[in-house]
Amino acid sequence: MKASVYFKLISLFGLALLCFSFVDTLPKNWSDIPRIWNKEALKNWELPNANPDYSVEPVREEFYYALPERIIYKTYPVYHPDYEPEGYWEWLHEQDAQIVFDASQLKTEKDWIKAGELLFDYPIDTLGAVIRTKHVRDKAFYTSSGMPLTPDGIMPFVHWVVAGKGKVYLGNLSCAMCHTRVMPNGSIIKGAQGNWSGDKAFAYALESDSASERVVQGITRSLFSSPWAEGDPHGKLLASGKDEILSAYKAVPEGAFGRQGTSILFPPQVPNLIGVKDRKYLDHGGLGQHRNSEDMMRYIAMNQSMDFLNFYGDYNPIGLTRERLYNGKPIFFPGTYDRYSDEQLLAITKYMYSLTPPENPNKPSVWSEKGQTIFAEQGCVTCHTPPLFTNNKLTPADGFEIPDEHYSKYSIFDVSVGTDPGYTLSTRRGTGYYKVPSLLGLWYRGPFLHDASLAKLEDLFDPARLRDDYVPTGFKPHNVKTKAVKGHEFGIELSKSEKDALIAYLLTL
Amino acid sequence: MKLISLFFLLILPWHFNANVEKGEEPIRFQLKNAGITVHGTISDWEYEIYWDAKKLANCKVTGTANPATINTGIKLRDKHLLGRQYFHTDQFPLISLQSKKIRAKGKNSYVGVFDLQIRDVIKEIEVPFTVVVVGQLQVFKAEFSLNRLDFGVGESSLVLSDEVKVMIELKK
Repeated sequence: MKASVYFKLISLFGLALLCFSFVDTLPKNWSDIPRIWNKEALKNWELPNANPDYSVEPVREEFYYALPERIIYKTYPVYHPDYEPEGYWEWLHEQDAQIVFDASQLKTEKDWIKAGELLFDYPIDTLGAVIRTKHVRDKAFYTSSGMPLTPDGIMPFVHWVVAGKGKVYLGNLSCAMCHTRVMPNGSIIKGAQGNWSGDKAFAYALESDSASERVVQGITRSLFSSPWAEGDPHGKLLASGKDEILSAYKAVPEGAFGRQGTSILFPPQVPNLIGVKDRKYLDHGGLGQHRNSEDMMRYIAMNQSMDFLNFYGDYNPIGLTRERLYNGKPIFFPGTYDRYSDEQLLAITKYMYSLTPPENPNKPSVWSEKGQTIFAEQGCVTCHTPPLFTNNKLTPADGFEIPDEHYSKYSIFDVSVGTDPGYTLSTRRGTGYYKVPSLLGLWYRGPFLHDASLAKLEDLFDPARLRDDYVPTGFKPHNVKTKAVKGHEFGIELSKSEKDALIAYLLTL
Repeated sequence: MKLISLFFLLILPWHFNANVEKGEEPIRFQLKNAGITVHGTISDWEYEIYWDAKKLANCKVTGTANPATINTGIKLRDKHLLGRQYFHTDQFPLISLQSKKIRAKGKNSYVGVFDLQIRDVIKEIEVPFTVVVVGQLQVFKAEFSLNRLDFGVGESSLVLSDEVKVMIELKK
């Protein structure tokens, strides 16, 4: 049987199986909406940390549900100053607040998805968690951060939130902030591996605000510290001083982002959310299991800043003690003083599950068919199995010993492909594993590998990347000039024409 | 006394004719992965044969193979195959095959009933084989199929076939 025929059959069969996977787990009715933050469900939902003594202890159910629900106001686009329509800023200040989410008005699936999109775009922070009004109204911000814009000059990663007449705030930390991609032709792909240059933008904000060393260290500690990690790399970064820390932020390329709990030393590639409904694990380290829509709802709540309140052993990222956390006094830290309602989480989940890829301009050809055969011959299909082009398993990183009990609890492919273990061994979100990524949508994504170290697919097959004198084309740590990008060496010995064919095939996925 | 004589009659030919010998040609196997035939080998193996075509009831064939010498052309795949989810070589360093009964099937053609052990699973299988005399040597050739899942080697897969074809050749 030809590989192409086989792939068609396997894709059809696989798709049929998928029809029975998550679709039926979505609540159909109002009354079915689950209470997602409960002790029992949270207990086994996340994988343990690579050092299990520092596994996540989330906030208690009573605390979580005592937080006020988020009020969702109408938002407005943010323009580069050269593109802002005349009188727009003044007009914004004349607008009244409009509350735009009301779950009782959602009758149809379409209503829920539409509301979910609105929430996906909605910033949960207006305190300036990343950048503030003065930054985005300054042209230098765009030059310094290399921020992608639409042809209309809109920066689609942030929004103006109007909370009342004259109350116009820059909104940060929407899902869309990281998961929106501005393509070279100016089109936008929502849910894709985003290309918001967030870490460069943050560095600009800290510099332009003349933030003190103590402030820079403090916020960086909250975002990334994991003092129990071997060698405490983040502790060393903090000790290296303000300039070094800012350099580390600036080193993170578009397409990667130092999200809280991850790292700017080992920044994760921004995940592509298109197709997320079919993935069994969330985060590059597979931290969150994704067994049903409730897990996705929990993940959104956790990822949208609730994890700042986690304890890892006795360590809390924002310096809380358990006594302080539970003493009833409010905590004013971005994203932690309110929460999504369960209805809001369900709406976002429905929207994310509804995401579909844009039409792929790379059509199958004789050339790509040759690449498909190479894909099968090289054994790529074992991990990147059609139709999802992932086997949905976790692979251990070098240096992580798989505990016996994990074999029965998780879906494991027990061999390391030898990529950089830093993220999964040295961060709060690290589990010791990397999930096998899906190859769907490679044509609109990049940079590649979990650490975004390679800008193009061609770089993946370049044997030079294995040498210590290699200059990574994607993420390169701030304090090195060269660095080998090791691991995942499949296909590296193919001939030039075979590599070209393989890449042609990969770009059709 | 008769019993003791009978015992010696049975055991002596075995002792005199059967030596442990290293397999010269690697054991070959093939299976389908995404519609493509993957060819692999296990190079380190040994066998012991007592063969007398006229007295099949006395014939004995045993062999062991070291799965750590597997080669499928992709190093990382080979490494994975040694792990717990496939051959688990740390715990099960040998694959073994032991004849229980051999019967003739035609000229130079036989079928043996063997116990095959992979990992901790022992299963009876039938192996057809031929024995041809070439010069001073007897050449044994066997080809058979097995279901890897019967032996706990890997899991059910959308892309990887369950059936594995095995080819063994040895000379005596």
